[in-house]
Amino acid sequence: MLKHLELLVALQDLDVMITDIDEVKQIGFKVGGKEKLKEARSQLAEKLSKPLLYNYENLRKRYKRAIIPVKDDICLGCFMRIPTSLITRGRSDQDVINCEGCGRVLYWYD
Amino acid sequence: MQIVWGNKKHTKEGKDIKMETKDLLDYFSEDLFISQMKASTKDASLDELASLFVKSKIIRKKSIVLEMLQKRETLGSTGIGKGVAIPHGRTTAAMDVKIAFGKSEQGMDFDSIDNKPVNLVFMVLAPPHDENNRYLPILGKLVEVLSGVKNRNKLKKVETFDEFIQVFNGVD
Ligand SMILES: [Zn+2]
Repeated sequence: MLKHLELLVALQDLDVMITDIDEVKQIGFKVGGKEKLKEARSQLAEKLSKPLLYNYENLRKRYKRAIIPVKDDICLGCFMRIPTSLITRGRSDQDVINCEGCGRVLYWYD
Repeated sequence: MQIVWGNKKHTKEGKDIKMETKDLLDYFSEDLFISQMKASTKDASLDELASLFVKSKIIRKKSIVLEMLQKRETLGSTGIGKGVAIPHGRTTAAMDVKIAFGKSEQGMDFDSIDNKPVNLVFMVLAPPHDENNRYLPILGKLVEVLSGVKNRNKLKKVETFDEFIQVFNGVD
């Protein structure tokens, strides 16, 4: 069972896949209908709580990526240092944490 | 089913990125190389190669990446025929563009478009927006290089990472 943050990541990955699929097809891969992906996307979106989904969609409108990497405890979207109190929680993937600087959802790489 | 080889236009926003075969060398690394895969199924091979990305700290967690790769496979197998598979995708979980390579002596069923078993698996992972837009040109170049029967035959024989690198250094 995926946690909320993992569901959000899966959603962003799917959105990227939907964007890429035509070009991937041009390269020579056999790729079926986009509809399948869009259906998978709605199914995934249904698993998320309304506020999380709403937050994701809003961020997506504002930025290229709603979920942004954190490296060396710095948000790579706005380069703000993440407060120590949030780091352990963030790294455990237990909670969805938004950057206090730019609002984007944070994903720890290390 | 017709196999379409080769890379056509593959960049966004009209930017033409010229990718040479040797440019692929930037994305391989020894810790992303297996000369004898244990996997004998498609799922197991995705798992085995994704594990290399975790081990070399390119991704922190496998489950997210496997989820994405499996979704991709449902759209159509990345087994492109002639014993080659190139599972690929962009994922939020990846920091850099990297390519893992695994070779399977016995071959595995990959639902390939020509139904032939797969011996050569290249896994390409990239972040959602790689700054230099390298991901699609890399995929195109790989497809092009692997369309050559000589290259495929050489790759089927590699035992070490150095030998593997030589194939990409020496292609025309
Ligand atoms: Zn930020």
